[in-house]
Amino acid sequence: MNTLGERTFLNRLDELRGPMPSRPHDARAIAALAANPGCVRRAVMDAAGVDKDLTARHVGFPAPFGQSQFAITRGNVFEALVKENGCAELLRLLRELLGLEVAQVGYQDVESVGSHLRHSHTRALIDRAAREDDGTAVFYDHPLLSLEIAGHTSYLEPDVVAFQIGRRFHIVEIKSFSMIDGQAEPEKVAAAARQASVYVMALRTLMADLGHDPERVSHNVVLVCPENFANRPTAALVDVRKHLSVLNRQLARMTGVERLLEDLPDGLTFDLAPGEDGVPTRSAQELAQALLQVPARYAPDCLSTCDMCMFCRHEARACGSTDLLGRQVRDQLGGVSGMDEALDLAEGTREPAEGQEEIARLLRLAHRLREESLR
Amino acid sequence: MSDSLDALERRIADLRAEVRRAVKARENSLARSLRGDLRRAEQAWDAAIASEVPAPPHEPQTSLVPIREQVHQALSMLGVPTSAKLIVAVNDAFFSRELRGSQLTSLRRDEERSFRGDPYARPYYLCAALTDRLSPARGLFADSTWPPESRVLGPLSPRVDFLISAMRVAEHLTRLAEPPSGAVRLLSRMAQNIPGAVEGFAPADPATAIRAARAELEVHLAVDSAQRAEVAARAMRQLPDAERLFGATAMNTLRGAC
Repeated sequence: MNTLGERTFLNRLDELRGPMPSRPHDARAIAALAANPGCVRRAVMDAAGVDKDLTARHVGFPAPFGQSQFAITRGNVFEALVKENGCAELLRLLRELLGLEVAQVGYQDVESVGSHLRHSHTRALIDRAAREDDGTAVFYDHPLLSLEIAGHTSYLEPDVVAFQIGRRFHIVEIKSFSMIDGQAEPEKVAAAARQASVYVMALRTLMADLGHDPERVSHNVVLVCPENFANRPTAALVDVRKHLSVLNRQLARMTGVERLLEDLPDGLTFDLAPGEDGVPTRSAQELAQALLQVPARYAPDCLSTCDMCMFCRHEARACGSTDLLGRQVRDQLGGVSGMDEALDLAEGTREPAEGQEEIARLLRLAHRLREESLR
Repeated sequence: MSDSLDALERRIADLRAEVRRAVKARENSLARSLRGDLRRAEQAWDAAIASEVPAPPHEPQTSLVPIREQVHQALSMLGVPTSAKLIVAVNDAFFSRELRGSQLTSLRRDEERSFRGDPYARPYYLCAALTDRLSPARGLFADSTWPPESRVLGPLSPRVDFLISAMRVAEHLTRLAEPPSGAVRLLSRMAQNIPGAVEGFAPADPATAIRAARAELEVHLAVDSAQRAEVAARAMRQLPDAERLFGATAMNTLRGAC
């Protein structure tokens, strides 16, 4: 992409967003991006750095989630517990999990240079560790990594990067959901794994940048959680290869955002037009219309990953879209995008269009089976 | 009890009415003797009330020892740079004083201001431990009277200092005839993270904990001392007095970076 094209692309993104500063991505947001690749609305909003939470609230569909202050505090307290006294708890866990030798106990706080130098200091420390110079540590605390997405740089902060002499780096993620009898809630583990895979990717990118082998960053992430119902930390290795490949694919596709932008009507913007006091002055109706110009791909999953979920769900309900039924069912229904349409085909009151014969047959069969079993 | 209080209150009310009548009727000597009775009744009421109120619960003595002194005592016991959290825990476990983390947040800043205002005026200052970037390590306290090598950190120092703290806690425990349960709990928590120091979740035995901590300490000590010596030498060379104690900010440390 030549520089002129690049600038136009970035200008168009700025136009979409309006005068507010671009909202930076964090690992959770990037991971969620990979979860819904087909949604143009999300792709465009995220590429432009639009504040989806604010937008959703302004059109009258605030996101139902957001961590409670209680959960945030509990998370911070647990993380502090794991890291205190030179990461004493973490050391115990990694000695068991990775077989660290007794001599490997070094701790470096990347923030010791001052927070504005963290990124460059992280690079320097990782470089030194990779070259196995003297004074290499096991734990690098408060590291700052970066990843370039859709033309701008996101800064990412994993909880800890652990380096084992044996030349491998591991990302450590500290979460406060419990592991009970060795098992934790699968969706929570999956979300943590997705988030961690973003850090793995960022660290691998850094390694490659510095001229080292990116594979030295392990695809096994250390997940630290409270054990059973107490606060004692326990840890497990989580393989994030699957999440990494999904993420890779998605980020590659994200550069295709320019093509998506071309299809958008000229002058379209999600600008909230904030007044002097920061309160949005754009009419909610107008903003909703603008949003509707960009196609979305709603799935029930969105309820846990995207701030715009309520708005898109409302839209899906209004037109009786099969999206509401979940990805699997929607995909199985193929070209039948409306629930009314599907029901009509099932009841036989509608003739299948070209290409719908197979699905119509299956729907009619399902309808007949249902009728028989209800009799 | 309250019966007699009710009776007393009724009598007091009656006496007051009679005093008023007597004064109105200008019967001064009657008024005087009634007033005497009234006074005695009121005193009896006071006494009855006082004996009814239960004795106030024994309140923990709010320590009259200033905060900086409490911190200094905990620090002296451990002898290594220590986090605010551990200082509070040690204070709580051994000196049963109520020290809160929030009281320590501005302590280092206050100490620095005091030092800069009148250097070396105080016998000791609660200062910072310096990182290898010569910046103040986050959340750690050190004693200004310690030698420079004890007030700096290398990569192994957090672990070394943790092991030494555990040993000091254990040693202090053995010296007490009746170790407070909070102290035993503190040692057990620390021992959980030292290999061989404690059996499962059982309360820690100080002697075992000391042996285990010393065993691991021996692995790290030589390298740690060498690294600390290097940082200390650099600090002495590059930093003025106040910064040697309280650390230098980012701009000043760029010279030594990477």
